[in-house]
Amino acid sequence: MTRAEAARILALASQCEMALVRKDPVAAPLLAQTARAADGLAGGHTLAVAARLAREVDISIHEPARKVVQALTRVASQEAQAALLRH
Amino acid sequence: MSRLWGEDSDALAQAGVDVASLAQLEDELSSVLVLDDAPIVDAHVHLGRDADGHNLTAHELARDLDRWGIAAAVCFPANDPGPGGQFTEANDLVLAAARSAPERIVPFCRVDPNGDWALELERAAEAGARGLKLHPVGQSFRPEADESVAAVSVATERGWPVLFHAGFGARRLGGPLAELAGAVPDARLILAHGGRGDARALAHEFAGESRIAFDTSLATVTDLAALSPGQLMFGSDRPYGEHASALHLIAATAGVAGWTDAEVRDVLGGNLTRWLDDQG
Repeated sequence: MTRAEAARILALASQCEMALVRKDPVAAPLLAQTARAADGLAGGHTLAVAARLAREVDISIHEPARKVVQALTRVASQEAQAALLRH
Repeated sequence: MSRLWGEDSDALAQAGVDVASLAQLEDELSSVLVLDDAPIVDAHVHLGRDADGHNLTAHELARDLDRWGIAAAVCFPANDPGPGGQFTEANDLVLAAARSAPERIVPFCRVDPNGDWALELERAAEAGARGLKLHPVGQSFRPEADESVAAVSVATERGWPVLFHAGFGARRLGGPLAELAGAVPDARLILAHGGRGDARALAHEFAGESRIAFDTSLATVTDLAALSPGQLMFGSDRPYGEHASALHLIAATAGVAGWTDAEVRDVLGGNLTRWLDDQG
């Protein structure tokens, strides 16, 4: 993962995390965008699972699903931070 | 009924979630985590129900600990001060859970320094509490205020560590917590969430201070990698956080910061265990 790719994923994942905490309807489309940015990179599979879950289940009303998506997004954010710090 | 990413898998399945793919992802993650023979102790777990709806029972926690091979957890109430405002019922719930599982649950009590906290702290101590949890945002007090200093002093006289929320919040924390630490020179403080609420200032104030630790719950790789592993204590912040990402955070930080195996063991449980064993 290049430094630019890691920075992009970290920025997007951070936006996703806040949207999920705030239960903002922008979370699901943001996750889809983030998963595309991470496709084929570290954390990409985790984000793809999170994005699919957010698309298939209404995370604004299903609290356990929202919490799982949040956890998956945290893992991806950690991956991106680690990649950035290794550069 | 099993747990997946900290949630009930049956509830997820009923909502139409593909639990098989979530389970596979959790298994993949656990296979790369630094989970060797090191005893893991979680420094940050809330038992009971928060006003915001988060809830964790002792039974659910036991299943989480079993899933991730975690030996024990420091537990304290969620933000549920109760009718008297001093967490009496919430502290009782934690203390009862600890009596039922003394090897696995280390009970800390929680009080509101703004009110008549001394009697509740004494009552909790007599019932087995081994530390104090304070939350300046939840209970709206300043860390350096007289009432906060007084509560930390009494806990310190008992030989207790004090776990202090140091995450989300508008106010600066570096100077105020340094003032508190200076006012109670023997206090042992665990600053929660890697001090992310004011990370640069807290790292500047407390780097290398052996009586100040940071728990890793919901912290960032960036903040933890800037701190000494000798000052870090693994935490999850269940039920707001969960153990998969909490352990992944340790693995990611260890890789970036170049921690030795011994340092990883200290972060996962050694540092906290030494503090708990040294309670005067």
